Amino acid sequence: MEKPSEKSWKKQPWFWSSAVASVILRLVLIVYFPNTLNFSSRPEVSTPLTSLRRLAEGYWLKQSSMSPYAGSMYHGSPLLLSILGPLTIDRGEGKSNHLLCGLAFVIADFITAILIRAIGQLLQVADIKSLKSLGATTHLNVSENFPSGDIAALVYLWNPLTIITCLGYSTSPIENLVTVLSIYGACMRLVPLAAFGWVIASHLSLYPVILVIPLVLLVGSGLDTPPRKLFPYIDDDQIQNKKSLNRIIFSWRRVFLFFLWASIWAFYVLILCGISLKDYSSLGEMFKRTYGFILSVEDLSPNIGVLWYFFAEVFDFFRNFFLMVFHINILFMVLPLAIRLHHRPCFLAFVYIAISSILKSYPSVGDSALYLGLLGLFVNALADMQFSFFLFSGYLGTLLLSPVMHNLWIWRGTGNANFYYATAMAYACFQIILVVESVSSMLNHDRALKKVSFCVNKFE
Amino acid sequence: MASTPGIEGQKQKHRPIIRIGIFIIVHSLLVSVVCCVAGVLALLLLPVLAKKTYISENALMPGSASSMISDQDVSGATRFINELNSLKSKSQNTGIEIPRLIALHMANMGGEVSYHNFQTQQNNFHPLHFFTSPNAEANFVNKTRESSAINTIGIIRAPRGDGKESIVLVTPYNPLNLSQTEALSLGIAYSAFSLLTQVSWLAKDIIWLAADSQYGQYNSVAAWLRHYHSPSFDTCHESNLDSTVSVSVSVSDSFRRAGTMAAALVIKVAETSEEFEQDSLNIYAEASNGQMPNLDLINIASYLAVHGQGFRVRVEKFMSLVDATWLKVIGHVFEFVGKIARSLNPQWKFGISVKEYVEGSATLVSSLYNQALGVPTGSHGAFRDYQVDAITMEISPKLSSISKSRQTEFLFRGGSLIEGVIRSVNNLLEKFHQSFFLYLLTSSNRFISVGVYMIPFLLLVAPLPIAAASLFSDANNSKNPPSTSFKSWRWLHPTKTVFLIHLWGAIVSLLPYFTYQIPDSNPTSRLLTWISLSIFALIVLRSFFRSYSEWTLLKSVTVSASFVGLCLMSVINFATAEIGAMFLVPMCLMIRPWRVAGKIQSVLNFVLIVFGFPWSGFFVVRGLFGIENGSGFDEFWYWVESLWAWNSATYIYICLVHLPCWVLCIYILLHRC
Repeated sequence: MEKPSEKSWKKQPWFWSSAVASVILRLVLIVYFPNTLNFSSRPEVSTPLTSLRRLAEGYWLKQSSMSPYAGSMYHGSPLLLSILGPLTIDRGEGKSNHLLCGLAFVIADFITAILIRAIGQLLQVADIKSLKSLGATTHLNVSENFPSGDIAALVYLWNPLTIITCLGYSTSPIENLVTVLSIYGACMRLVPLAAFGWVIASHLSLYPVILVIPLVLLVGSGLDTPPRKLFPYIDDDQIQNKKSLNRIIFSWRRVFLFFLWASIWAFYVLILCGISLKDYSSLGEMFKRTYGFILSVEDLSPNIGVLWYFFAEVFDFFRNFFLMVFHINILFMVLPLAIRLHHRPCFLAFVYIAISSILKSYPSVGDSALYLGLLGLFVNALADMQFSFFLFSGYLGTLLLSPVMHNLWIWRGTGNANFYYATAMAYACFQIILVVESVSSMLNHDRALKKVSFCVNKFE
Repeated sequence: MASTPGIEGQKQKHRPIIRIGIFIIVHSLLVSVVCCVAGVLALLLLPVLAKKTYISENALMPGSASSMISDQDVSGATRFINELNSLKSKSQNTGIEIPRLIALHMANMGGEVSYHNFQTQQNNFHPLHFFTSPNAEANFVNKTRESSAINTIGIIRAPRGDGKESIVLVTPYNPLNLSQTEALSLGIAYSAFSLLTQVSWLAKDIIWLAADSQYGQYNSVAAWLRHYHSPSFDTCHESNLDSTVSVSVSVSDSFRRAGTMAAALVIKVAETSEEFEQDSLNIYAEASNGQMPNLDLINIASYLAVHGQGFRVRVEKFMSLVDATWLKVIGHVFEFVGKIARSLNPQWKFGISVKEYVEGSATLVSSLYNQALGVPTGSHGAFRDYQVDAITMEISPKLSSISKSRQTEFLFRGGSLIEGVIRSVNNLLEKFHQSFFLYLLTSSNRFISVGVYMIPFLLLVAPLPIAAASLFSDANNSKNPPSTSFKSWRWLHPTKTVFLIHLWGAIVSLLPYFTYQIPDSNPTSRLLTWISLSIFALIVLRSFFRSYSEWTLLKSVTVSASFVGLCLMSVINFATAEIGAMFLVPMCLMIRPWRVAGKIQSVLNFVLIVFGFPWSGFFVVRGLFGIENGSGFDEFWYWVESLWAWNSATYIYICLVHLPCWVLCIYILLHRC
């Protein structure tokens, strides 16, 4: 337990300097190049749900005593309006009015990175503890392990996708922050915090609802461990010695507390929303305009997802059927993955986030930024991941191709929607390969652990 | 660490798709050679594969109505030309008198007339222009007010239209020094305009833009288009003409508009052509960054010119290539193959004659070159930025056109050609969308569509990912890898190197901003400043990457980066990517450290690298295409400057893809291993 903390302490100056450098880069880009690249108008960055321009519109409507959801412009939470809305007011005199918002997003990104780092440190401590209990530390030279928390945090901070999202004034950094907050709370076993994060994240973008399974697993049985069936190989007296370490008891009490807190927070959020919408609108309209808008895929403007094109083409009387099919797609994968990966709840959360960001109705690169950051947490387990370079080139290629195809279609008029959709499909394919490869290499890692622990026990 | 000796011992069974991949990777050398040769062959075959053009949109119906242009219109045009000529000889202040005269005639014919007073804009250097929307450009404020010019605009409101669509006629002329050909082109536009004011079938408004080209033909049209598409409410700078000139007719103070533009025709008259017995029509279509107008527009113009008026239609070609022996030899080979094919099966219409092949290749090469430059070939290029299809129709009269009667006939034919094209476009219900936007021309009535010309390119670049994969697997299977774990992440180090070099490329592309800040410097010194600053930046960045022991991984990453870059460029501007691939692909595939490679290969690599440098590559391309080269440094600098001025994506390509790959290749060549 001493070793990793000492190591991370040694690495810390390096970590902090590059983290601060990334924040400075963001600030420089926000202050000096506010409108050079027009990230906020790119379909890859801002979706109907996360666009700050829409939020400003909603805030304006609310200020003029109208429902913020009037005119199908705003589809976010009323709470975001109250928090971010005042920052979007145009102060006139040619000042860049989004400066404060940009600052808020930079802070959100930074806090997210710090939380990811904390999660990584917790995970690494747990990892080494369980390896020791398996007696496999000598075989799997732990000294080669990287400080996965630092790596994940820096991957998140320096990921061009995160930077673009931050500069593009979309509210994804806030959503990512809340999602990571809930995982952090669950890792620390702070039940109220985990419940708070989960409720707010689901309130903001609906899809984090499926994170309830990893969160419950984390709260109930603790951090990622090797599969439980490895432990029977260890002798009885060893179990006696390390009982406190090995024995994993699923704590139903905490789970009950989690749901209790979740319902309290949900109630609280609903009351706050109700107050905030009191004079102009109702909770019913809020649900219809936020969750309903997400589920019924009303806005068919192009994005990097795969749904818009399909629902632009599909016949109207099949629409409801296919809506169900597409949404059930996500739910279909929830249970099998939960059964297969229940011993690694953090990794399960990563897989869920990745899958929902592939199949969600209005995806943006901000979602990819989150799961790519979380991928860094498992850098030691995924050391032997296949096709990593192929995936890297693929991500790079499709993300560069996407604006070019958009330009060809929208501005030059020489291409058409198929050009842009082709890149969206390629992007989805690469994401799927990433998920498949990471899951399979995680399972391989578990198998390798099993072999090692088996050998250890045989020799002993 | 996942693989204990037990697993490594047994042969792993893969899925079929992976087995195919492994098979290709193992035979990567053979596959690369075959693909490259096939790519070059397919490129040479393109003139043979060209298809005949056809009019795809049925609504156009070119030539279905008989020409309505009358002697009255033509005699009016003749009078107009005479007035212009006399004004030119009499008046001192033609810069204001000629627009006034044109406005007067437009108004007399029944058009709405307005002036557009504009300042020429310095062509600014926007390296990121390609990815921003066109309207972002309209924001920047113009500070230089030293030179202003006047466009004259006449609009006919369509009796049957709703004023939401329009067709544009452009006649560029220089009011300070009006040449006879410019007067003739104004006359042709006059005759067409005069007819169109009277006809009842007009469904789209007609805009006649007499563009003042004293500061460049493109600038005047671009300025007018910018004003047309950006709503502005100040009318202060329009009115200064009315105060200086008393015009007897009503000239509108405000800027007049007439709906979205369906198409635009730029009418020009060239000097007399001595080659041909007939009048001939030259069509220019290339807009910025290799964009082309819809093929249908070219089709109707050439169809009407050939079948309606008996013009001889030509597309630009490199004359030097027509006499090239090597092309003739290839042509003979293809003709021979075609004959054999036909003797085997008469249905195979494969071969074309040598003359056709050579002419087709010369046109194709010119088409490729103009698209690759990314510089528009005329003022029609300005329209493409607003998604309006436009072509320049340059009519050149035959030798004996000086006589009076010949001029009338010429005006008559030109006018009826314009009338026919406008009538055809007038029939159009939607935007041009039916036919191709992505094509290369091999003659005025033969084209190669995107589906065909992508094949040579794809064959040419296909070896790159295969070579990258094979090098990557070689590096991973090498005997003593530095560390057993993180084997699959070892590419991160070479990727860092490649990234830094590409970052350097981006810095190089931005440096001219700063070299322009140095006042009073000549091209050579600017070029030298640029080069020295680039080298300095490279040395600074060099300190960030430590030398990496494995060249195979570095080459693999370099090759993948060039593949991604070439594929991206092929979408942005195909011609640049094709020409660029000719340089990059052999260089990237062949390169090896000179300590590893044999003597012959090293020499070959050295030659490839010398030719791969943009400066020498530029002269090689120009030499191959038969464009005469001037003196070294200045020529190159002016060329690069023109690329900035036209916001050509080719410049971005050279700086962000070609140059970094070239530097990386040198790095690999000099690698100590």
